[in-house]
Amino acid sequence: MLDFKLPIVYSTSHTVMPKIIFGVLVFLGVILFIQYVMKTRKEGGRLFSLKGKRFFEENYDRVKLFGTVVILFGFIVFMKPLGFILASIIFISLFNILYAGKFGKKDLLLSIGISVVETMTVWFVFGYLFDITLP
Amino acid sequence: MLGFELGLLELFVSVLGVGIGIIFGALPGMTATMAIAIFLPLTYAYELHTSLFLLLGLYVGGISGGLIPAILINIPGTPSSVTTGFDGHPMAKRGEGVRALRIGITASLMGGLISLVVLWLFTPVLASVAIKFSAVEKFLIILFAMTVIAALSKGSMTKGIFAGFLGVFIALMGVFPDNQTIRLVPDMFRIGLRDGFQLLPVLIGLFAFSQLFQESEMGMKQAIVKQDMTKRDQTAKFSIKDFKGNFINVLRSASIGTFMGILPGIGGSAASLLAYSQTKNFSKDPDKLGTGAVEGLISSEAANNGLTGGALVPLLSLGIPGDSTTAVLVGAFMLQGVQVGPLFITQNPDLWKTILFGLLVANIFMFIGMFYPIKYIANIIKIPKNRLYPAIILLCVVGAFSARSGNMVDVITLVIFGLIGYFFTKLKVPVTTFLIGFILGRDLEKYFVDSLKGSAGSFSVFFSRPIGNFIWVLIALSLAYAYYDNRKFQKKSRTMK
Repeated sequence: MLDFKLPIVYSTSHTVMPKIIFGVLVFLGVILFIQYVMKTRKEGGRLFSLKGKRFFEENYDRVKLFGTVVILFGFIVFMKPLGFILASIIFISLFNILYAGKFGKKDLLLSIGISVVETMTVWFVFGYLFDITLP
Repeated sequence: MLGFELGLLELFVSVLGVGIGIIFGALPGMTATMAIAIFLPLTYAYELHTSLFLLLGLYVGGISGGLIPAILINIPGTPSSVTTGFDGHPMAKRGEGVRALRIGITASLMGGLISLVVLWLFTPVLASVAIKFSAVEKFLIILFAMTVIAALSKGSMTKGIFAGFLGVFIALMGVFPDNQTIRLVPDMFRIGLRDGFQLLPVLIGLFAFSQLFQESEMGMKQAIVKQDMTKRDQTAKFSIKDFKGNFINVLRSASIGTFMGILPGIGGSAASLLAYSQTKNFSKDPDKLGTGAVEGLISSEAANNGLTGGALVPLLSLGIPGDSTTAVLVGAFMLQGVQVGPLFITQNPDLWKTILFGLLVANIFMFIGMFYPIKYIANIIKIPKNRLYPAIILLCVVGAFSARSGNMVDVITLVIFGLIGYFFTKLKVPVTTFLIGFILGRDLEKYFVDSLKGSAGSFSVFFSRPIGNFIWVLIALSLAYAYYDNRKFQKKSRTMK
């Protein structure tokens, strides 16, 4: 019987599995690519054209989607400098305002109120009662 | 007597878990998996056995809550309640909303209890076989789990396998314990990612944040409730007689659900679809199904709750999660330093009893909590998502941050994997395969390297053991089935176009 050998050498043993898995990934990647090529051939489309393809949903909510990403980014950046309570109140308010989509005075106050209550609850339950480290 | 502590705290967190689970289950787009992922960090505060009551409550509640919107507005609250609406919604439309809900809840309880019995009897047997496994079989069984999962990613088998191996690859990042050498990590991240990506933020990212991005893309719209189906005059009332003649149906559907749960990676939607189609096959008048037949409703709900016990079988006997929700449960065990696998029951008899009892308690609380106050509980579907998501973001960030008591790298991991999960969904790559690859990746490597060490590097070791060869046959069979099924699915979707 054919017998492959792959002796495990101590000093390089950490590279054995990553190399194999990488090989498998390349192999599967090639298969996926071939499948893709065959499919587009069959349908008579061009290989790398983006025509008729859509990444986002039709009429997707640009403001909310990209707003989420931007506010998240801000939240992470400012969490340490501002401290947990302040940063959370500010950024959770922003999320609330963004998702509510209304900008009347009452709506803004409601959003801020909700985030103050939520932040303080989380701070109290996690930080105070359970002694879990907060930013 | 019980062999574990059962105090007010345990009962309280179980009720809490069931309650929150029902809310997550009832809101379309939010799942049991997401609920468990978000509440994992809270388990730091408790001992493992107390947190198990919480997590199992979330699991049972999350699966059960899905029937509410399925029946009332014909939108399944969780993937596993797709078939519930087929018959539940027509019933609600003709004024039997409350009756339909109560039948569904009762069927859920029955399904949950039947699967609990299977879990109790079946797990020790499977574990006693698995205990004889050497590194070779352990390696092969992980490989098998991955092929089964990929086999079930309908119409995208290659993508599923690819995602699984990508998960393995990402799991390998960081230090290799044998020779303490860091690999696959760029120099600038050496300190933060010494141990690779942490499981907790990866989980929350894949299952909660990716959903957040999807929902915000769609503008956080609320499912519209046209009229209140539970407040109208009810034309028929629930009675236990509704189950008359459905004994076999309950048993069959719950068993299908349970055994689909035991196979890794199938998940609730496939289980309830299969149970539903079998009920149709065996029904006396199959034409009635889909028009508001009690049979169909019972079948769907018995099957999806049957899944809960079933999915825990491979987890507790082999260490392999049965679906994405149990994959998240692995996280809970790992975070508390408990190894799940063949030795779990013998080494942790108390935890084993806790799990069985926790499931039982959760099922009972689910029934009591939903059956009587169903008219009020039905209002859950009106909770505004746009107010809920900011709170979820806060909980996720706090959870990720506390994963290693305060590390910003983990918060960034959370966002990165949220985006990865989002892109995967867009490209129709199954997220579950990726996650299971990620969870099992390190073990896969360990057993592979250990096998080769024992054989001086000879690959023949992988074919040298009888149980091992049996698993090879299973792997071959699952791949063959996958190929066949994939073909069938693609043909079907082509003709549908």
